[in-house]
Amino acid sequence: MTIEEAKFILSAFRPNGSDAGDARFGDALRMTDGDPMLKAWFARSRAHDEAIAGKLRQIAPPEGLREAILAGVRVSDPRKNSGLGWGWIASLAAAAALVIGVFSMRAPARPESGTTALAGFAIDDMVNKRHGGDGEPAGALIARLQAKGARMPVAEQIDFEGLRETGCRTLNFAGHDVLEVCFLREGTWYHLYLTRRDGPIGNSVDRGPTFISEAAGAAAVWSDARFNYALASKAGVEALRRLL
Amino acid sequence: MNNEAFAELVDAHYAPLYRFALSLARNTSDAGDLVQQTFFIWATKGHGLRELSKAKSWLFTTLYREFLRGRRRDARSTSIEDLPQAEKEPAAEEVDRVSRIDAALVMTALQTVDETFRAPLTLFYLEDMSYQEIADALDVPIGTVMSRLSRGKSQLRMALERVESAGSKVLPFPDSKGARAS
Repeated sequence: MTIEEAKFILSAFRPNGSDAGDARFGDALRMTDGDPMLKAWFARSRAHDEAIAGKLRQIAPPEGLREAILAGVRVSDPRKNSGLGWGWIASLAAAAALVIGVFSMRAPARPESGTTALAGFAIDDMVNKRHGGDGEPAGALIARLQAKGARMPVAEQIDFEGLRETGCRTLNFAGHDVLEVCFLREGTWYHLYLTRRDGPIGNSVDRGPTFISEAAGAAAVWSDARFNYALASKAGVEALRRLL
Repeated sequence: MNNEAFAELVDAHYAPLYRFALSLARNTSDAGDLVQQTFFIWATKGHGLRELSKAKSWLFTTLYREFLRGRRRDARSTSIEDLPQAEKEPAAEEVDRVSRIDAALVMTALQTVDETFRAPLTLFYLEDMSYQEIADALDVPIGTVMSRLSRGKSQLRMALERVESAGSKVLPFPDSKGARAS
């Protein structure tokens, strides 16, 4: 090992000595014992690093940041108020019980049962489950959804099989496959759920869009000739309206 | 994860995360947003992480990715590593210089270091992460981390020199007799 190699390695040695037991530094550290110039260089380097680390420790986060983090997550994620590990049947029951506001862009109408059930399913999944879609088609769909001003997809733009077979997150809702992708639009997270328009529940989803608001979040549900859609967000109905 | 555990997680990591965010974003508002967004993602996704011991790396990695998502990477950042290594090594008086400079000015100097070097350099100075953890967080090989630390330190020394020099011109501190401090 040359002097320059030793300096290169020792540049990664933390000034507080946390790396003293790391074997990767062993040879370089031993070399400092036999080379007074290298030893002096290392001492200066550590002193300099320690001085900078000390200055950075003096940088305090802005007042209120901690409280904002805690409050923001509490408001956005009220899992403490709901039972965990519900199955989809429990979700459907909970959806009916927890709905506190129903808003429709159409003439006042009572939401169909499939609409309410899909909204409840989407909100419960959004709040209680881990997310993450994979696969190239999902990536392309997410990229499109994240674009500012982009409209929600229509049936002709959706390759349901392609999404499912390439690893897009797939759930089960009343015996139907539901695909889900998460996307971030202008600082707000949204979750789009897609299911085929068939079966007793699938066919009873209103054409919509129908907006359903719960304590945990809101969902917009609509359908077209082939699919039912649920768009869920913890940011509330107005955030959903901006995308539709 | 219950509220108490989440609060403990925030208490343990939000300050170093903020310092890292501030070095990347270069302004307090965006830095605060990045930290909040990171914990929000944890609350919605990361709480499923089985090993809490990995939470620290997860948080720093997520913050860095959120920062990268927030702006377009320019071509310059990839070519910087091809530059010859600067030969600025620490002299004894440079430790005194750092001691004289205000912490905010040290951060200002750090913010002028090229971003490719700034991210590993800040994580190194926060002292919370080993070079191996930094490599994992930034998704680069260990050798690359060491190389970036070496070059980043060199840039930082030059930046500190400039910052101190500019500070003495722009913000002279009069002594009790009205003369400028040296």
